[in-house]
Amino acid sequence: MRISSLFYALGQGIKNLLRNRVFALASIATITTCLFVFGLFFSVLVNFRHIVQTVEEGVSITVFFEPGTDEETMLQRKVEIEERPEVNKVEYISAEQAWETFKVDYLGEYAEGFTENPLEDSANLEIYLSDVSKQAELVSFIEAMEETREVNYSTVTADTLTGANRIIAYVSVGFIALLFAVSVFLISNTISTGIAVRKEEINIMKYVGATDFFVRAPFVIEGLLIGVIGSVIPIVIIYFIYNKVLEYVMSRFPTLSSIITFLPVTTVFQQLVPLLLILGVGIGFIGSFISVRKHLRV
Amino acid sequence: MRKRKSTIEIPEGNVITMRNVHKSYEQGTPALNGISLDIQQGEFVFIVGDSGSGKSTLIRLLLRELTPTEGDINVLGYDLTSIRHSRIPKFRRNLGVVFQDFRLLEDRNVYDNVAFAQRVVLESTRNIRKNVPEILATVGLADKYKNTPAQLSGGEQQRVALARALVNRPLILLADEPTGNLDPTNSWEIMKLLEKVNEGGTTVVVVTHNQDIVDKMQKRVITMKRGEIESDEDEAGYMEPVPYMDPMEEPEYDDQSFGETAEIEASFEEAVYVEGGYLDED
Repeated sequence: MRISSLFYALGQGIKNLLRNRVFALASIATITTCLFVFGLFFSVLVNFRHIVQTVEEGVSITVFFEPGTDEETMLQRKVEIEERPEVNKVEYISAEQAWETFKVDYLGEYAEGFTENPLEDSANLEIYLSDVSKQAELVSFIEAMEETREVNYSTVTADTLTGANRIIAYVSVGFIALLFAVSVFLISNTISTGIAVRKEEINIMKYVGATDFFVRAPFVIEGLLIGVIGSVIPIVIIYFIYNKVLEYVMSRFPTLSSIITFLPVTTVFQQLVPLLLILGVGIGFIGSFISVRKHLRV
Repeated sequence: MRKRKSTIEIPEGNVITMRNVHKSYEQGTPALNGISLDIQQGEFVFIVGDSGSGKSTLIRLLLRELTPTEGDINVLGYDLTSIRHSRIPKFRRNLGVVFQDFRLLEDRNVYDNVAFAQRVVLESTRNIRKNVPEILATVGLADKYKNTPAQLSGGEQQRVALARALVNRPLILLADEPTGNLDPTNSWEIMKLLEKVNEGGTTVVVVTHNQDIVDKMQKRVITMKRGEIESDEDEAGYMEPVPYMDPMEEPEYDDQSFGETAEIEASFEEAVYVEGGYLDED
């Protein structure tokens, strides 16, 4: 394809857009609405995930060893556990550290009376998981080690979090599929209307010997432009709304902000902006491509 | 869709060859019922008949807008029964088409309507700026290039449509009721233009029911009735095939899109190119 015809297609695409302002605005509004709802949902979702993750990171398994196990063996076990994929990090707490913490937490100045470490055998490993759903697997792995005396863990916390994650996954997949289906339907409808208006033009092009590519190019460019505009608008709106909502929640529920942390807008947008752009451009491209297709069989 | 290679023999000098062509639509009686037809390079042919006689179907088959239910069609060496979809654009670039309802783009001026046809075939902007005014002068609309179709009379609109059909220098011009919406004066002007185009070597096929014009023009007349050819009369006597002459300038068939055309050209050994243009005023 020549450069001049590329410019021609681009020029025609823009002209079409301006010529069919009503149709173009309708399409842009449709994409904007869908992507806006999607963006809001996505923002809530990533924050929810973030909260769940924060809680997850606090979930730990504590491993105590048989009396007489030397520090070297324990550290070796630490390395073995760390290598497992579901493990985020492992902390080794020596008997001294455990005693120090205990003293500070519970005894205060009464600790003076102890000359020996009564928690001699309580050196342990504190394991933080990256994937709570694998907790049971990890526990059985640790229990199988010969030096293991006891493993402390809570199945309730792990199960709740796993359940929450699963619900998030199902809801988000369902919601995204629904929104996508709705927007593709609406957009192919609006673009079809726009193309029906220009059926004559497509017909003439075909009679004169235009290739399918040439006929399609201006419409696809038009669709792409609509898609880009339709995704930039919700990006801007969500940017402002997100900050406003955060400010409101923080000032209205100050206690909440001490328990959970929200993601800053920049973190959310690192994923959201490319996602919305791809969706907008994709919807515009697919919508226009499909709509011109049926008019090409002349 | 059925695709098979045609095995018919194409007589020398033929640009359009139809053999036993049938066309039926989904319901109703068949539109074409065993048509066989030869049209030679440089001929001027009228196709007449009542409405429903199948003449429009014939044109649409020649454009490869429709495919025959049965039979073979060969136009300019292209086997239209087996042609691939992707090759149709290349084939159509050899044809010019004019319709009864002009089919101009209302939102563009005369110049853009004609230039449109050149852009579609990826002509360079430089050539478009040269070719479009030339062809508009040929049809007598040089001074109206800025007007929109709505500002023109019916006759003028049809001349724009004709300019659009001719600007790509087609080997065959197909006209489907070109004077159907015009008064006698304008009709006659259009016919004179078509005759000039034909004198330049372009094969012209005109579908019409304007008996008056057919009688005056004294050309070959194919009369159709109920999907069959009722008569095929050559009132002027068969002409020798006229060599194709480029209507505008030196031919430039180096462009690959004209590769097919060049082959057909080669079969007319006596082809003579006249400088200037066949439509220029003497």
